[in-house]
Amino acid sequence: MKRQLIAITAICFALLLPASAWAHAFLDHADPKVGSVIASSPDEIKIWFTQEIEPDFSSIEVRDSRGNEVDKQDTHKDSSDKKLLIVSVPKLADGQYTVTWKVVSTDTHHTHGDFSFTVKSQS
Amino acid sequence: MPLGKKAFAAIVIAAGLVFPHLLLAHGFVGDRFFPPTIATDDPFAVDELSLPSITAFGDPSSDGVPATREVDWGFEFDKEILPHFAIGVSDDFISQSERGQPSTYGWDNIELTAKYELWHNDPHEAIVSAGLIADIASSGTENVSDSFSTLAPTVYFGKGFGDLPETVNFLRPLAVTGELGESFPTSSDAANQFQYGFAIEYSLPYLQEEVKDIGLPSPLKDMIPVVEFALATDENRATGGLTTGTINPGVLWQTPWCELGAEAVIPVNGRTGSRVGFTVDVWIYIDDLFPKVFGYPIFGKD
Repeated sequence: MKRQLIAITAICFALLLPASAWAHAFLDHADPKVGSVIASSPDEIKIWFTQEIEPDFSSIEVRDSRGNEVDKQDTHKDSSDKKLLIVSVPKLADGQYTVTWKVVSTDTHHTHGDFSFTVKSQS
Repeated sequence: MPLGKKAFAAIVIAAGLVFPHLLLAHGFVGDRFFPPTIATDDPFAVDELSLPSITAFGDPSSDGVPATREVDWGFEFDKEILPHFAIGVSDDFISQSERGQPSTYGWDNIELTAKYELWHNDPHEAIVSAGLIADIASSGTENVSDSFSTLAPTVYFGKGFGDLPETVNFLRPLAVTGELGESFPTSSDAANQFQYGFAIEYSLPYLQEEVKDIGLPSPLKDMIPVVEFALATDENRATGGLTTGTINPGVLWQTPWCELGAEAVIPVNGRTGSRVGFTVDVWIYIDDLFPKVFGYPIFGKD
């Protein structure tokens, strides 16, 4: 009986595995890094996700410590990497910034999150 | 992408924009993902499938009592029926062996669960749910299951600590889930029980994605160390006042399509057992694998 249970379990896995491409898109890594302190303003905020995303239904916002949106509102995908979402920013003054992202993965699942980074020039 | 799949995606994305929580079938509150736990139930009324859940434990021989060993092969399936309301069914195939005796096999009684998410607060990553757990008399194999039913009204909760100030940034990945229930058996021989349990989790994915990227490599960055406490205290009959339970330290590993969990099972006292066991568990994200079928309530919209 135990062997039968093992066999049933193995068959279940075999049936499920081919569909493993479906999944939520979570943040994999970002540039600037989550929680980092950087010495100069970036030109862009880049976020790599764990799954391919639908750029038309995805966004990145960057706000300063007063809550004002400072990004150029031009969220766009990378032409060669479907897991990468980008937004441009002007030259950022010293201070802490909050990045809020909302994405829809290609399997239509919604996810969202936020993180901060700090610009602190040497001068 | 074939046209049919593309059309489906467009329709569902559009629906998702109108109903922003439509496709958040996993256990999310705000930015927090609460993973399914093994020894205690999480507070979410969503589509979930645990297959299999394997627990092994035993007692060495003592005072003339032979050594015993039990292995349980279990499953759990939950389906959201109405928005924030789900029903579930679970069972275990039990294998009991006693040294010098033939092994005993059979199904435990079927357990049905109804759960409703009463309240949640996204900024504070908090959720409270209420449910009823029913163990159905004689629905299992006679030699390993009870001949009476048990009803247990239960309250569930979850709280993430992502709202803590940045001065204690490294506590923000912490989260707690738990359940408090009272069981009422239909047999006059069995005791009422206060059943209580909680899980303390430290989410490395939350640390990496929301707090600070400390450069953890895979698969470490996808793991959630956890300690679960699952306890029950008899309230009447001959065993009134006596407690059984386990403490389960382990880890939950998130993959794109399932969660793999492994925990030690440590008895809290001699009445529970005297040997450390283990449990392994696979939670399959059926809303990811079959998004056309799962991830939605059958009736109504989230």
